[in-house]
Amino acid sequence: MNPPLMARALLLAVAGDDQAEFVAGDLHEEFVFLCQTRGRRAGRRWYVWQVARSILALLGLRMRSGEVAHVFAATALGVAIPLLLLDRLWCFVYSQIPLKDGLHRAPGFLAANVICAGLCAAFCGATARSLRRAVAIAAAAALAAGFALWNSAGAAPALYVCVILLIAPASSLMAWRRFR
Amino acid sequence: MKWLKRIAIVLAALIVLPVVTLLILGQRSGAGQMHASAEISASPAQLWSWIDDGQRLKQWVSWMVEARAWDKPAGVGARRVLVMRDENNGGAIMEIEGTCTEYSPPSRLTMLLAVKDAFDGQQLYRLTDLGNGRTRLDVESRYHLTNPLARLMEPLVTPQAEKKLVGDVARLKSMVESRAEVR
Repeated sequence: MNPPLMARALLLAVAGDDQAEFVAGDLHEEFVFLCQTRGRRAGRRWYVWQVARSILALLGLRMRSGEVAHVFAATALGVAIPLLLLDRLWCFVYSQIPLKDGLHRAPGFLAANVICAGLCAAFCGATARSLRRAVAIAAAAALAAGFALWNSAGAAPALYVCVILLIAPASSLMAWRRFR
Repeated sequence: MKWLKRIAIVLAALIVLPVVTLLILGQRSGAGQMHASAEISASPAQLWSWIDDGQRLKQWVSWMVEARAWDKPAGVGARRVLVMRDENNGGAIMEIEGTCTEYSPPSRLTMLLAVKDAFDGQQLYRLTDLGNGRTRLDVESRYHLTNPLARLMEPLVTPQAEKKLVGDVARLKSMVESRAEVR
């Protein structure tokens, strides 16, 4: 007898490393009991409601444990800031062209951004101590890369955006697998 | 502590290696020099006006907002200001002071271009008559960046500046030839 998949995934995503297994286990026991006594539909409804009302409390616990701060700091410092600094560097380079130029970027500069994003995200991923935290860092790395792209002055071709948004989480997860 | 050491080594390598590479590349013989050329279906006299006339100049030099008229009859020693928009600096307007050092219509025009605390250099336009209403235009530029950080970045700046120059000359060719076809 399985609880609603989406609600369980949300619970695991929101709960921190220390809480997820205990909370999910307790809820699952109660869910099975309710399904046997009041029916499957009532059990599922109860499970979804319990997850919904626990989200804020679990997030609070997670923040106090420092996990959110770790994920945020790792990705903001490790991915967003390097990409934004590189963007400023390319702006400076283009600004030095005597007769000036537009906001397009040479493929070599974009490649440097991709390599930097990949390396920095890998570095962030290597600091994760569990799969769940690695997944959280990977997701945050993609968000941080997206934030950096959104705030960059230079033009971002669609292919470049896709590569950056894929390479950041992928390299983060690969680094976690390599160094766990 | 082990991680801090690793981070310090990686950061040092990320900074030192590119700086050393840029310093070495900055010593190459063609540093700060650019060249672009095109064979254009127009006579040298027709092409000359696109270089000499400020209103026409700003049509083919990208990001040029204004090319003010010569301060005295065009010739050696005459000055004009080129106003550029720098999109990479928040759209800031930059005035480049140009001084003519060679004026031989319709074959050669050399300008000294300078912006205080940014760069100085010269740009030569050479028009060669190929006959049959065709002209070869060569644009040769040599710039010296005065800002120390910009000088370090010169190996990155010059190729992009040359790419821009080539694009501008290609635009000039396309504009001149499309007007010639209309006529």
